Amino acid sequence: STSSVLSTEKDESTASKDSTAEVTSKSQEGTPETPKQKLLDLIGNMKVEVSYRKKLQQLKTREIKKQATNKLEGPDSEGSVLQKTAEDTQRGKPLNPELVEAASAVASSLPVNKKQTESELLAQLRRHEETTDRQKRGGTINIRNVISEMAVKRQSPAQRGVRRSNRISLELDEDGQTIKPDRFVMKCCEILNIIFIFVYRSLKVGRRLNIFTKASTETENALKTVSSPTIWDLEFAKEVAAITAQPPRNGFEEMIQWTKEGILWEFPIDNEAGMEDDAEFHEHIFLEKHLEDFPKHGPIRHFMELVICGLSKNPYLSVKQKIEHIEWFQKYFEEKKEFLQEI
Amino acid sequence: MAAWALGWALRAARQVLPSPCTRQARSYYVDWRMLRDVKRRKLAYEYADERLRINAIRKNTILPKELQEVADKEIADLPRDSCPVRIRNRCVLTSRPRGVKRRWRLSRIVFRHFADHGQMSGIQRAMW
Repeated sequence: STSSVLSTEKDESTASKDSTAEVTSKSQEGTPETPKQKLLDLIGNMKVEVSYRKKLQQLKTREIKKQATNKLEGPDSEGSVLQKTAEDTQRGKPLNPELVEAASAVASSLPVNKKQTESELLAQLRRHEETTDRQKRGGTINIRNVISEMAVKRQSPAQRGVRRSNRISLELDEDGQTIKPDRFVMKCCEILNIIFIFVYRSLKVGRRLNIFTKASTETENALKTVSSPTIWDLEFAKEVAAITAQPPRNGFEEMIQWTKEGILWEFPIDNEAGMEDDAEFHEHIFLEKHLEDFPKHGPIRHFMELVICGLSKNPYLSVKQKIEHIEWFQKYFEEKKEFLQEI
Repeated sequence: MAAWALGWALRAARQVLPSPCTRQARSYYVDWRMLRDVKRRKLAYEYADERLRINAIRKNTILPKELQEVADKEIADLPRDSCPVRIRNRCVLTSRPRGVKRRWRLSRIVFRHFADHGQMSGIQRAMW
């Protein structure tokens, strides 16, 4: 029966995720209002959530008891919502009628489009329940502890840091159960996510204001039909530079000019300014691979090994320069080959 | 002959590009000796690597002596001005060969002149 429970869990979680996506899309498609209005709605929803937090908590505790009975019931409680009934049937878990009534009351109190706000509120509530259900089935949670912990966090997050951690550890020890302390954070993230997606989509959807005209794409022709810039062009450029380069008005401008010229270093001082050594350390040290063309034995090999030893210890040369040294020696000994054979 | 001398004089006089600076602009080298010193420095920079490598072959106990003798001849064939020993650290402003402080590249007289006028950064009359 455990395996069946797990499979149902997964199905419900996926179904709930799909439905949340659907809900969000539908809520946005259904409102042909300006983005500003939508934001106002969302903020209104947020306010409702904050004020109804405690009520939700109570309802959740009640729902734990009702869970077993409610799971199998059909969607009968909501009569006001028209669009969402289909989704509810899919999920098979209706909203508490008290919640629905509360949502309708809030919607009526708000000045904006009432049915829309109502539907959105209910959607939000449903999402909250989904998360709680998921969490409940996912692990062993003592919800009361979690709620108390959340309450503590809201009151004084700064001061009771130490005590909070102690309390949490105590709770863990007492219950011997795994508590998920990041539930609060998860919820905040979810809410923020919803807001961001909303705003992002609304930005995309809005009609153009036609303030800025798209710049005509200028085809970039060749810089100059002439192969090199003419003397007159150079002179003109020099004149322009001489005129625009006014003498510095103060010490700061003078320092800026010096830095551009390269007289003054850039601060904070970069020890590797002007040094662009892209080679790794092993290219500096292991230079034996360049010695392949040399004879294996004899004094020349001995000599070249000493050269390589010295070069590997030299931090001032670049890899290129070291390779040039070795190549020069190679060429030199090639020329002197006949002479060496006489010896 | 006169034309050649004139040409040489022109080449000796290196013009500084006109720039909007109010400092004292020096367009010529102070004297011919300074010019020669500049030439020597340039050549020494060009031939520095070669001299280093040939000397590495010469100052050796591993390679055969014949090879080292050949290297001796080769280094003697290089232009005389390419050796760094011929460079003299002259004063930059007066071309004085003696009494030049290395850090400032100035002769002692010029250094004293500027220091007394407060134009040497961080220099103060010693008193203790």
